Amino acid sequence: MIKYIKNIITGIISLCEGLSVTLKHVFRKPITLQYPEQKPDLQLRYRGRLVMPVDPEKNDIRCTACMICAKVCPNHSILEIEKVIEDGKPKPKAKKYIYNLGTCMFCNLCVEACPFAAIIMSDEYALANEDKEKLILELVSEKYNLTGKKLNWWKSKFKDETINKEKVQK
Amino acid sequence: MELIKDILYNTDKILKDFYNWAYKLWSSFNLPFFILDIVFYLLITLAVAAFLVFNALFIIYYDRKVAAKFQVRYGPNRVGYKGILQTVADTIKLLIKEDINADKVDKIVFFLAPFLVFIPSFLVFLVIPFGKGLIPADLNIGILYVLAITGLSVLGILSAGWASNNKYSLIGGMRSAAQIISYEIPMVLVILSVLLLSGSLKMGDIINAQSSISKWFIFVQPIGFILFLIAGNAEINRAPFDLPEAESELVSGFITEYSAMKFAFFFLAEYTNLFLTSAIATTLFLGGWQGPFLPPFVWFIIKTYLVITLLMWFRWTFPRIRVDHLMEFSWKYLTPIAFVNLIATAILVKFI
Amino acid sequence: MNKFPIEIEKGLTTDEYILNMGPQHPSTHGVLRVVLKMDGEVVKDAIPDVGYIHTGLEKMFENRKYEQIIPYTDRTDYLSAVNNNLAYCLAVEKLLGIEVPERAKIMRVILCELNRIMSHLLWYSAYGLDMGALTPIIYAFREREEVIDLVESMTGGRLTHNALRIGGFKYDLPKDFIYKLKNFISHFNDRIDEYEALLINNVIFVNRTKDIGVLKKEIAISYGVTGPSLRGSDISYDLRKIEPYSGYEKFEFDVCTGKNGDTLDRCKVRMNEMRQSIRILEQAIDHLKDGDIMAKVPKVIKPAPGEIYCAVEGPRGETGVYIVSDGSEKPYRIKLRSPSFSNLSVLKEIVVGYKIADLVAIMGSLDLVIPEIDR
Ligand code: SF4
Ligand code: SF4
Repeated sequence: MIKYIKNIITGIISLCEGLSVTLKHVFRKPITLQYPEQKPDLQLRYRGRLVMPVDPEKNDIRCTACMICAKVCPNHSILEIEKVIEDGKPKPKAKKYIYNLGTCMFCNLCVEACPFAAIIMSDEYALANEDKEKLILELVSEKYNLTGKKLNWWKSKFKDETINKEKVQK
Repeated sequence: MELIKDILYNTDKILKDFYNWAYKLWSSFNLPFFILDIVFYLLITLAVAAFLVFNALFIIYYDRKVAAKFQVRYGPNRVGYKGILQTVADTIKLLIKEDINADKVDKIVFFLAPFLVFIPSFLVFLVIPFGKGLIPADLNIGILYVLAITGLSVLGILSAGWASNNKYSLIGGMRSAAQIISYEIPMVLVILSVLLLSGSLKMGDIINAQSSISKWFIFVQPIGFILFLIAGNAEINRAPFDLPEAESELVSGFITEYSAMKFAFFFLAEYTNLFLTSAIATTLFLGGWQGPFLPPFVWFIIKTYLVITLLMWFRWTFPRIRVDHLMEFSWKYLTPIAFVNLIATAILVKFI
Repeated sequence: MNKFPIEIEKGLTTDEYILNMGPQHPSTHGVLRVVLKMDGEVVKDAIPDVGYIHTGLEKMFENRKYEQIIPYTDRTDYLSAVNNNLAYCLAVEKLLGIEVPERAKIMRVILCELNRIMSHLLWYSAYGLDMGALTPIIYAFREREEVIDLVESMTGGRLTHNALRIGGFKYDLPKDFIYKLKNFISHFNDRIDEYEALLINNVIFVNRTKDIGVLKKEIAISYGVTGPSLRGSDISYDLRKIEPYSGYEKFEFDVCTGKNGDTLDRCKVRMNEMRQSIRILEQAIDHLKDGDIMAKVPKVIKPAPGEIYCAVEGPRGETGVYIVSDGSEKPYRIKLRSPSFSNLSVLKEIVVGYKIADLVAIMGSLDLVIPEIDR
């Protein structure tokens, strides 16, 4: 009998504890992000889709079509890189850079491998598309402009460029 | 101003005057009177049905908002002002969806089940006292009628579970039958102890017996009130007693196979039942429509919604009870306590 | 011929039936199918049927270079990606004979413990749903979001972090990482108390989980159950203590164990483990010194021929990687030891005789992640 009453009392106490937790939360502020109106604050290193931004100093892309990124990509998402051809000779500059968003797994390996910091993961995240064909992107002609924090971060990677160039030439 | 006040406070008198006026008008035409009566009852039915639908729409919206409050969210806030039209949009969506009948269902029973669930809850409105004199019919067996009719809904749930030809649905239906029947007993015992105090089964008399705040039965029967809430909550299959539709175990229990209109009927019935349980708790324990300053109807709604909020608070806090604990809880805890409560009340009434 | 892997007796007296739970069922947490032999509501037999999302990862590894494999290991147990990365990276580093710098080791510990908290929080919220409590998920996700933001600020990924590299890290911790981490640590313990008050201590919850699904010591060991599910059965087996890796030997923490091995114990072990993770994080902040984050790694990773097995203590148990190298750029064979697979296999032993509601509770308490089972 005593156990029976004790059961009831401990039960009621534990239930009341739970109720008090939810009651406390009534007075806390909602944590929801009102998405389409309110955009999330993305982290600096956030990995959206791959872009090849235009370097504001040179007003040109930085890619030299060295193919390192394509070799390093585990999924073969970087499909084709074509060099600019001037006077019948290929120049170290990309004319076409075809990237398959559909198979990319946003692993950042290509960005890390690129010795010229020519590519970077952008802040774009709403990437769904109804058509698979539209997921195959051509990055050079896109002339993507980075802005804000990400641009500064990207620029800070340039400084090793000269060293890297030597490395590649060797 | 006066007119509005009159309408709010003396609704019953106005209705009676209107009836008498119509009666006189009718007699001048020399037509049989039963037609007039039928017209009147139809009007009342329509009014109740309209109230039921709009009320259910609002409760669903309210439930979602309350849930959001407990879960530090916003809840629906896109359709209409603060999302008030969200349930309307949902209902429209349900109405225009395809009504899927699975291949091997028992067609007739499958079709009838939603109505068997819904009709009892509609019928109970017959004895709900919305305000002074605002009761469709103040039967002298009022509360007994409520018990008799609500017991019927188990039939609908059971047949829904059976007709779906789905094992999950069947388990859900069986659970629901066991649950509703075993929780009926503590509920009746609690109501009995209230009846001992009021001395009448009639809803009007029960409310009259609680004429001032100090006489509200919740103060005489605090345990009874809690027991009633628990048993009532179990009767309408809401969390933490939502075993018949237990999502994580039985997918959706007896409503797994239902879609579109039929699903909407189950939904409507669920929320109507929630309102009814709270309304009856208000009538039995919180003095019904009585209260100062505000019109009776408003008091009734306020009190009912308070009880509804309480039930929602439980729903959004507790995990689900397991099926054998449910039975244990009813037979080992609720029923004995309700019995003791009843005997204590009887002694109290007899000697004091 | 037989559609189901179970036989039921046919005859007049039997009222047993087969219930297919899954592959689409709210509480199998993914595409797992469990074939149940039921008698009324009582489970008579349970056979899990796995393989619905088999992706052939292990075969894929054989065609990838060593450094390319890391992002794929994220995708086995996606709830604690760093732990999988770590198991793989440790194995390759051992093959190559690389010693990882001190700072990188501590950073790895920080990320691993954050991942453990992430995973346990997700288990808590999903378990709440299994039990029919709909509110815990929102509260737990609020804190989980903070942890994800932390890891994201470090790695850039929210779930599949691809955080580690062979030999250390590519990027150092961001500047305000430690500040944010301290901020998180300062209030997380209170939140755990709230979670316990809301769900774990609730009388309904305790009644539903106590003495349910008792996993005996011997059975647990013979099935190779690891992680919190094993420690719930009062076996103090934690790789972080027994075979310390990545500098865990420097940290002070308790191995949480339960007593009876029932469902409640497994739940409590997980809740306590979150507290221990916080302890480890606090110490890690003190241990963190400036220094290199990348060891000297050859440009082309070509380990000498050989075999290696390396395991770490993931949130679900022993996450192991077995590599056979033939001396080329690509591994000859990689085998993943996923804890969920062994933990699932014990299901039949502990679920028979209980009700279908208990089955949900027991399966939830094993904390299964289906992609890890199917790979
Ligand atoms: S590695 Fe960099 S520079 Fe070379 S092709 Fe790729 S993007 Fe261009
Ligand atoms: S992010 Fe990874 S998968 Fe995508 S293109 Fe770069 S290397 Fe390939």
